[in-house]
Amino acid sequence: MADPRTFVVVGAGLCGATTVATLRAEGFDGRIVLIGAEEIPPYERPPLSKEYLRGEDPLETIMVRPPEWFTEHDIEARFGTHVTQLDAHAREVVLAGGERVAFDALVVATGGHNRRIEAPGSDLPGVLDLRYVGDAARLRDAVDGGARVACVGMGFIGAEVAASLRTMGCDVTVIEIFETALYRVLGGDVGRVLEAIHRDHGVVMHFNDLVARFEGDGRLERVVTRSGTVVEADVAVVGIGTEPAVHIMAGTGLDQPGGIPVGPTLETSIPGVFAVGDVARHEHPVFGPMRVEHFDNALKMGEAVARNMLGADAVFDDPHWFWSDQYDVQIQMAGFAPTWDRMVVRGSLEDRSFCAFLLDADGVLRSSVSIAWPRDVRRSFELIREQVRPDPAALADPDVDLRTLAPGKG
Amino acid sequence: MAEFVTVGRADEIAEGEAKAFPVNGQEIAVSRVSGALYGFSDICTHRQCNLSLGGEIEGTSITCECHGSTFDMTTGAVLEGPATEPVATFPVREENGELLIEA
Repeated sequence: MADPRTFVVVGAGLCGATTVATLRAEGFDGRIVLIGAEEIPPYERPPLSKEYLRGEDPLETIMVRPPEWFTEHDIEARFGTHVTQLDAHAREVVLAGGERVAFDALVVATGGHNRRIEAPGSDLPGVLDLRYVGDAARLRDAVDGGARVACVGMGFIGAEVAASLRTMGCDVTVIEIFETALYRVLGGDVGRVLEAIHRDHGVVMHFNDLVARFEGDGRLERVVTRSGTVVEADVAVVGIGTEPAVHIMAGTGLDQPGGIPVGPTLETSIPGVFAVGDVARHEHPVFGPMRVEHFDNALKMGEAVARNMLGADAVFDDPHWFWSDQYDVQIQMAGFAPTWDRMVVRGSLEDRSFCAFLLDADGVLRSSVSIAWPRDVRRSFELIREQVRPDPAALADPDVDLRTLAPGKG
Repeated sequence: MAEFVTVGRADEIAEGEAKAFPVNGQEIAVSRVSGALYGFSDICTHRQCNLSLGGEIEGTSITCECHGSTFDMTTGAVLEGPATEPVATFPVREENGELLIEA
């Protein structure tokens, strides 16, 4: 006899899709409802700033699952459907139009919204941003034939878009509030390596500056910065961060600007209601409360929450990991270190081939970041999870296999 | 009809490492674990990275360096996403010091 429970997943990105796939893979044969605001089945977002944007890989190659997978696995997929509210007392979600769907357990995987830029002229045609597949197609069409593009913000989206657009023959100028590329995540030393790579590829960068206004007669013609720099541009791409899409939690107290709070096992304070992916502010057992917007986290949290709905009740202690592809360079990073005391480099920053290890004041390894040196990021996962204090000389020595530094492996 | 093709010397494959060979238009990786040889498609089914280039081998699993998909090299099965499709596997054998792949 089939399981009598109904599991509802709101949000049909990578995280929601992985949740339902894992539920079925783990043998759950009850009712599953997957509700997504976008019209199309779940797709991977990383290619939107890279292969898909550049027109190298078509949409069907970036789908999380083939479209028929959902019917084949008896998933009630409701794409193009907005959820307006969670009714926690009735244990129902309310859809736009008023329909209610009752659940025994609920996963909120609604992701985020792009932060809007507060500057005059931001509604001019030509001022774009990037989150959905339609945004990527729109940007590709807008720069057709090599436009002059201003990238506003040089976080991962800005840096990847800048790299792709240079590859596509556009003139690219970056306006970034911090002192170098990806400063907030990678810090100054590694950020400046990225900055140099972009400069070598002909990207013009203005740091410590921000947009004062977008100008143009009927459409974007230039971007003016606070410092008075004028950037002539046909297109601007705004990538200044995201905000978690917490709206369906209104009235529960969980619709917080920093994300929906969840405990170590990904459950909210409402029993049977979980939040995962970009929207979740997770109480991580190693790093403390954190909200993570990366692909691998969406995948790993989707798997973990499915198992926890089925009773695993496991703490989510993934060390976190992400990559970014810019030109022919791959950056990888593991762990979480908003600040650090010491950076130990294996390899060479100058040669743009290294793995850098970030240690806190107690010498605990908190994070590792590589350019063209991914293996040691992967090999540091266990050290980060176990909060190891490695010998800095061993970290710096490329001949030392990091796996031998893990507890009980020395 | 698939047949065994000699692709090189068996000692080119060190313990715990993988190397790719072109065979009949396919890129096939061969890895050696505890002395035994395993043959599998070198192309990750997620976004087509070469598994033999930096793939991390642990026991008989190989993890793609690009995005972390992990495959069981004995069966081709996906052990960890983001890949959802298995990689093909190929019979491999060692004969008189030569490495042969059936493809």
